[in-house]
Amino acid sequence: MPKYAMTIDLSRCMGCRACMVACKVENNTPEGQFWMYVFRLEEGEFPETRLTFLPRPCQHCDNAPCVKVCPVGARYKREDGLVLTDFQRCIGCRYCEVACPYGVNYFHWQSPKKGQYLKWGDDAEVRERAEREVPPWHNPDHDKRYGEERRLTAGAVHYKGVMGKCTFCVHRVEKGLEPACVANCPVRVFEFGDLEDPNSSVSHKLREATRFRLLEDVGTEPRVYYLNGQPPTGEHRQLDAVKGGKGE
Amino acid sequence: MGTISRRTFLKGTGAAAGTLAAEELLFGKGKSLLPVARGEAATPEPAESWAYSACWIGKQDCGLKARRFGDRVVKLEGNPAHPRNVGTLCPKGMAQISALYDPNRLRRPLIRTNEKGVPGEFREATWEEAIALVAEKIKAARAKDPKLVVWQKGRSKSSALYDTAFTAALGTEKLHHGAFCSDAGYRACEYTIGLNGVLNPDYRFCKLAIHWGYNLTAGGGNKLCWITFPRQFINARERGMKVVSIDPRRHGIGPHTDTWIPIRPGSDLALALALANEIVRLGTLDTEYLVKYTNAPFLVGEDGLFLRTGGKELVWDTATNSAKPFDAEGVSPALEGSYRVQGQNAKTAFELFKEHIREYTPEWAAGITDVPAEQIRELAKAIVDTAQIGSTIVVDGVEVAYRPVGIHTYHMAQQELGFQTVRAMLLVMMLVGAVGAAGGQLSDATWKIHANFEKFGTLKVSEPPYNIWLSNSKWFPINSNNTAVVSLVLQDPAKWGVEKLPEVMIVHMANPALAFGSQRDIVEGLKKIPFIVVIDPWLSKTADLLADVVLPASTLEKYEGPLAAGDIYTDAVALRLPLMKPLGESRSELEIYLDICEATGTLYGEKGYIDQINQALGLKDEFALPLDKKPTPEEIFDRWAKAQGLKEGLAFFEQNGVWVKGPVSPKKLYGWAAEPRFGGIRHRFYGESLLSAQRQMKAAGAEEWAWRDYTPFPTWRPPTMESSPREYDLYLISYKLIEFKQSRGHQLPLVAELAPKQHLWMNPRAAKERGLRAGDEVWVESHNAVTGETKRVRARVALTEGIRPDTVGLPHHFGGEARHPWAADDGPGAASLYYTGPGYIQMTADQSFHVKVRVYRAKEA
Repeated sequence: MPKYAMTIDLSRCMGCRACMVACKVENNTPEGQFWMYVFRLEEGEFPETRLTFLPRPCQHCDNAPCVKVCPVGARYKREDGLVLTDFQRCIGCRYCEVACPYGVNYFHWQSPKKGQYLKWGDDAEVRERAEREVPPWHNPDHDKRYGEERRLTAGAVHYKGVMGKCTFCVHRVEKGLEPACVANCPVRVFEFGDLEDPNSSVSHKLREATRFRLLEDVGTEPRVYYLNGQPPTGEHRQLDAVKGGKGE
Repeated sequence: MGTISRRTFLKGTGAAAGTLAAEELLFGKGKSLLPVARGEAATPEPAESWAYSACWIGKQDCGLKARRFGDRVVKLEGNPAHPRNVGTLCPKGMAQISALYDPNRLRRPLIRTNEKGVPGEFREATWEEAIALVAEKIKAARAKDPKLVVWQKGRSKSSALYDTAFTAALGTEKLHHGAFCSDAGYRACEYTIGLNGVLNPDYRFCKLAIHWGYNLTAGGGNKLCWITFPRQFINARERGMKVVSIDPRRHGIGPHTDTWIPIRPGSDLALALALANEIVRLGTLDTEYLVKYTNAPFLVGEDGLFLRTGGKELVWDTATNSAKPFDAEGVSPALEGSYRVQGQNAKTAFELFKEHIREYTPEWAAGITDVPAEQIRELAKAIVDTAQIGSTIVVDGVEVAYRPVGIHTYHMAQQELGFQTVRAMLLVMMLVGAVGAAGGQLSDATWKIHANFEKFGTLKVSEPPYNIWLSNSKWFPINSNNTAVVSLVLQDPAKWGVEKLPEVMIVHMANPALAFGSQRDIVEGLKKIPFIVVIDPWLSKTADLLADVVLPASTLEKYEGPLAAGDIYTDAVALRLPLMKPLGESRSELEIYLDICEATGTLYGEKGYIDQINQALGLKDEFALPLDKKPTPEEIFDRWAKAQGLKEGLAFFEQNGVWVKGPVSPKKLYGWAAEPRFGGIRHRFYGESLLSAQRQMKAAGAEEWAWRDYTPFPTWRPPTMESSPREYDLYLISYKLIEFKQSRGHQLPLVAELAPKQHLWMNPRAAKERGLRAGDEVWVESHNAVTGETKRVRARVALTEGIRPDTVGLPHHFGGEARHPWAADDGPGAASLYYTGPGYIQMTADQSFHVKVRVYRAKEA
């Protein structure tokens, strides 16, 4: 059984947010939901200004608070390490959102087919071209069930009233593919693979770099390792915060 | 186990979202629940397939592959085989999937029904009617003079088919976007070293990269762009390359620098001259390079021109202690010194240079640039130490001079003194022999000498009347061709000595009304053109304000190419292939141009569009398109592919996406290794023809603002903007964002969401001094120091310690790029505050993106 983990090399990140868009297209998340988010952080005073770009997916914690608090067992951790949400069990109580210290959970306030950027349904020609899918780039992988447990756990376009978060692209991992963010990064910031395999790319990276995990002190035991950088502190200010939609 | 879940049950009773679902289940109109119970998919899935194409939104035409189910594209990913992006896409490339389905795209041609210069009212028309109307106008104009038809491009995704063949078939005047891009840098490199490019380091071997205003994290590199330069850069960093970033703003380099030098905007020339001063003072120069491969040893007479005998420039031969032609057998030229020659006190150009830069000390520059003198000295020493003058390495079996220090600069060239600034940077690199060396200073992907090198050697000023971009005029002997200058001409042709005014303009993948510095002049000028056709997938701002006819272009639903696909080190070529049927009746520009040429009688026969395509694509013999049959795009590219030796033709690209030809020979890449070295030319250390041009300009009566910078060595003067009154106490700079590309970014909602609104970026200290906080609405007011004109726009303040306190930033890409829900009310475009004209355009007619502004709360008057 693989023990999946991700490494994020902060010395390479350009803060381009291509991973955010790749995740969004792959997982069909609606406006305002960013299962992958990239912080553009600044600290110091001119001219001693320093910038850090920090991608932040779900941390797929070994001691996940979200799993502990889920009253119905919708949020669960698989043997391979992925922390997933069974959309058919989820009752949308949002306890996971409260419990998670990383802010990776999003509640679907409306049908995930709403807030999908443009009015796909109003135009007959577009509707036909998109084969009535909303968004038009609806990924059929999300309609399938994954894991030995055969649960509906991939993608964002399921139901109103349930939670959504990064799945490490379970639907890709099960096919032997890397998560969309990892595969797409123009400068190869991410690696993903099996910690138990000494020859995996994550094992290589962990051997050769300094590392930290986010909020190490709270004991969540993330599976995401940040390399060649320093953890953000209270001195960091966020630039270019993305609120979602057309807002400020 | 499969399951009627609790959720499915709720759906069935209609209690939750989806009355439609309830109806389907209860009244048997829809899908049976049995497949769900069995855990199967309800209906058979369309087949999954992958198709290759090339990104449409950006500059590099990165290779992509599209995941499709049936005809429906669900994802775009990078083509792993493409050298430029190696299986990845930037955020724009990933986001362009929405364009394939965007209901806001134009489906049919539009014909304007109201006057131009205000938002347009249009009626839909058939292609027949639209093409007939366009053809009628073109024919009428061409009958008088083909140059009365103007082709204005922004980006061209197929220079062979559009820039070369189409414009040749119609004989049009050509305008482009270079004056708003980096063309002052191109002119400086063409003039000095004969290459058509600006400056980038050889990242493969570079040990010290000087990023001079280069916006690494957002775009804007020399010729290449995202994704390629960041990849090369980050690998070089991993190898240990050091970086110095010279930029008023931090974000461009992000975390990836060892030193950030926050230089005062507009003072880059002073820094370059001081670096030269210090390097000369240190005394470690690449004398061999300067003597053998530049005109630095040439003797200059008292009139500032080279001394010549029999048309050959003279040098002082140290072997015989006499003046000899520079290419005399066994000559050993002196690099420095004063000599008595032909009855004059002659000096070598290098001797003159030493005198010229004597006052440009680091202490002098510190006062102007706000860069400490010690830091300037350190940088000069680092350049000299890293250059390892005299060393060589072996690259792919070829011995090449090794000078692993190089500058990366590009859009920074578009400032008032940009041409001379880039020339000064070149001189700095020439002092240590880094031009064309391994690890050192590159400019073009191959060491091919551009025709402008020779042309610029004898600059001529001609008599009026001039053409609309004032080519060879007394104002711009070197002229990058600037549409903003054209707009000034169109507003007052008599003042500029122009008689023939255009009657038709075709706008190709461009949004001038938004982006071409000085929006007001562009709109006022271009609206005087009687008939304007805009080709665009959306109703762009330019189409909205200025188009008489709008023709809907497709995006990734077309054939285009051939597309350069190399990354400097590997040569490759690719094509754009259609991923879906075009949306509505949108079409490729190629098909539009075939129709326009057919309707104007310029398609068939010799010199027609088909003939021009054959020539531009090198289609000969059995591959040549017959001149009497209208080709389809597929036929054109199939023949082209076969003419390259690819037996499968177009199918090769359908199967592979890109044709990787192999490594670029060091002899092609490095000037030091080229045969002959540096293409056989002498690099222009001393710009004699600039001095000659200045004299001609004065004699022709050109104003001082036009001739003052035509000096043989770059010469410092304070930029014009510094004479604005003191209350205009902030420099305005603009820059690209990684989320967008030129003026077609907000039409992609997936990236527009990441940066939906414009902001004025200020240093917190500057904001505090003005009683401003983050989120405050302010007026940003610019001032033209020559005319006294002011302009102002409203924006919201955003704060960052990553910008100088005397500088504010207004990014490019905003201003209502198109009639699109994601582009509306997004805030002002940067070009709304810049000026065009004396003091705000360069000696080469290139635009300057510098101006002084003041910022105050929006509630005040």
